Amino acid sequence: MTDKTLKGGLRRRDFLATGAAAFALGVTGFPAVLRAQATPVKIGLIHPVSGFVAFSGNQCREGALMAIADINAAGGIKSMGGAMVEAVLADSQGKPEIGAAEVTKMAEAGIDGIVAGYASSISLATSQEAAKTNTPHVVDVGVSDQIVQRGLANTFRFGPGYGKIADFAVDNLDTINKAAGSPAKTAMIIHEESLFGTGTAGLLQKRLPEKGIEVIDIIKHANPTRDFTNIVLQIKSQKPDLIIPANYYNEYVLLARTMRQQRIEAKGIYSVLGGAASNYQFVNEFPEAADLIMDCNHWFNPKSDVALQRKAAAEAKGLIYTYEVFLAYNAVLGLVDAIERAGSTDKDAVNAALAASEMDMSYMPYGATKMVDGQNEGAQPVNTQVQNGEIEVIFPAEFASAETVFPMGG
Amino acid sequence: MRQLALLGLVFAALFTVPFVVESESWRTTIIMTLYAALLGQAWNILGGYGGQFSFGHAAFFGTGAYTVAVLQVQFGINPWLGLVAGGALAVGVAAFIGFTTFRYGLRGSYFALVTLAFAEVLRILSNTVPFTGAGVGILIPLDPGAASLQFTSKAGFYWLLWAITLAAFLTAWWIGHSRFGARLMAVRDNEDAARALGVDPFRVKMRAIMLSGLFSGLAGVFYAQFFLYLDPGIAYGPAVSVESLLVPIVGGMGTLFGPLLGAVALHAVSEVTREVIGDLPGISLVIYGTILVIMVLFAPRGLSGLVSRLTARMRRTAEGDRHA
Repeated sequence: MTDKTLKGGLRRRDFLATGAAAFALGVTGFPAVLRAQATPVKIGLIHPVSGFVAFSGNQCREGALMAIADINAAGGIKSMGGAMVEAVLADSQGKPEIGAAEVTKMAEAGIDGIVAGYASSISLATSQEAAKTNTPHVVDVGVSDQIVQRGLANTFRFGPGYGKIADFAVDNLDTINKAAGSPAKTAMIIHEESLFGTGTAGLLQKRLPEKGIEVIDIIKHANPTRDFTNIVLQIKSQKPDLIIPANYYNEYVLLARTMRQQRIEAKGIYSVLGGAASNYQFVNEFPEAADLIMDCNHWFNPKSDVALQRKAAAEAKGLIYTYEVFLAYNAVLGLVDAIERAGSTDKDAVNAALAASEMDMSYMPYGATKMVDGQNEGAQPVNTQVQNGEIEVIFPAEFASAETVFPMGG
Repeated sequence: MRQLALLGLVFAALFTVPFVVESESWRTTIIMTLYAALLGQAWNILGGYGGQFSFGHAAFFGTGAYTVAVLQVQFGINPWLGLVAGGALAVGVAAFIGFTTFRYGLRGSYFALVTLAFAEVLRILSNTVPFTGAGVGILIPLDPGAASLQFTSKAGFYWLLWAITLAAFLTAWWIGHSRFGARLMAVRDNEDAARALGVDPFRVKMRAIMLSGLFSGLAGVFYAQFFLYLDPGIAYGPAVSVESLLVPIVGGMGTLFGPLLGAVALHAVSEVTREVIGDLPGISLVIYGTILVIMVLFAPRGLSGLVSRLTARMRRTAEGDRHA
């Protein structure tokens, strides 16, 4: 039997083999082909990956990318035929105007949703720009309450805002203080000068006196500040019972180290959104300076296996598991969950699904997810304390992994 | 008059941009380029034509921006009035800084440092006083519409900026062709000689700084209305001062089109590097910085100077060919 060559040069035997393979693929592989053909869902990730908060911006980006990789590995968006999620990356350089310009570009390129922007000032600009095209926008870290108080129908946040964090911090501090016999009667607040530090300091100044703690001084410092000697000398001269820092990572580390060098003897260091107090890098590199510092901050649920697995996965990638990583991860999950429930990338439908989100977030120390005006009312911070080189959750009790040590030094 | 005709031609072409460019993203890029040209021309009036190198133009920019924001948010005053007030207050700040520095004969690096210090003082003040929102900043409520100086389309913002920028460039052209401009440039080239010829350097410099302050202030008003959020770092931080002087330095100081050329070049480089290798954090800034260094090293008179040099060389070559 000779091989006949068909028109176009394909041999008969090859033709039959190809036909059989194509048939087999059609029978067994069709669903896979369908999955591969589903249009990818594009999510814009806008973070300050260069500039003065580049470390945090990169952490956010990594967390968001991890979430996207996990979603895709689990089969993508099932209600859309297994559509894969595709990240579109942008650098805001720490500048609101560049963040907003990136949103415009992305909106025009047909982005389906945006996760941004680490800092509150950038998140304000990006969400507002996204509102012009009704593009769903989930804020990952920015804590300013103004972000969700402008009535923008496209702006959502799964983490807590600083109004709630400050209230929580004051209430828990009061509980911790009273449980120890109220040794803390005075406090000094040391905060950075931008929206986050100033806003937090303002709220604490108002609320602490209600709990019987007098704020004897508030010291604001610039970003960056590289010498805290004078500030620490002021602390030393005023001898507050509590020192409350609210600043970014570098400044926090320098402040804590200078306080240790100057042998500041306070009854407690109690941070609110401390840039380093709940950060493994600080704890590992400066264990003495970090020891027994308490913080009220974003944290994961240490009793959740899912949270611990994600932490291990991040660390396996060489990441330090900071709050930026898991908040950005959660923001992507929240947005994709809404797209999944909407069954499409129609902006109105996704925004409506985000507004109705009841996503299970038991891997976070949160209550049930409930969106009110774009803010997840179930979100809350926790109190952590550095104990023997570990970051332990000390409050609320249901998430606690250790007992509180207060006051410091017995 | 040829320069004025060319200016008219350029701005007539710029006026049509929103009709030609429909992409909102490109419109944003063009708006940011024109905004940089405005900042640069404002600085150029004092630094380029007047030779008074300011490192603190953020003082005027921030004043304009905060004026329109505070008047709207705290007092409910219409931002169109805020636009006028912002420009006027920036002129006031410029007059104050000018009076305190020129009155005592501060020049060169001393003047530069004092302007930098003024901007820093204003940054700290705005970080402290409650009516600016202190460190929390000030958020202008979203209220789209021309009446609230928040246009629904970017075209509206573009034409507003176009009009302010045109006014700044016409002022620069006037400086280059007026008696006042001749005095200003005489002061720049040799203040003592100018004084000996009967020019009052104090008066001339005061007028220059006030004009410069006016356009920086109006740029600040535009920024506030476009982005609707300000904090002390944005308004009075060094980034604005640096952008203001970088644009004419790259484009060509003391030239009419220098700021426009500089703004186009800087934004083109920035956009291209971000587009091509935007995913690598910070690499676009590294390339941007490298190109800047190369330009400053090899084209110290800016792009305008480079264009003039090339034109002259081509003319010489053409003449040489004719003689041969």
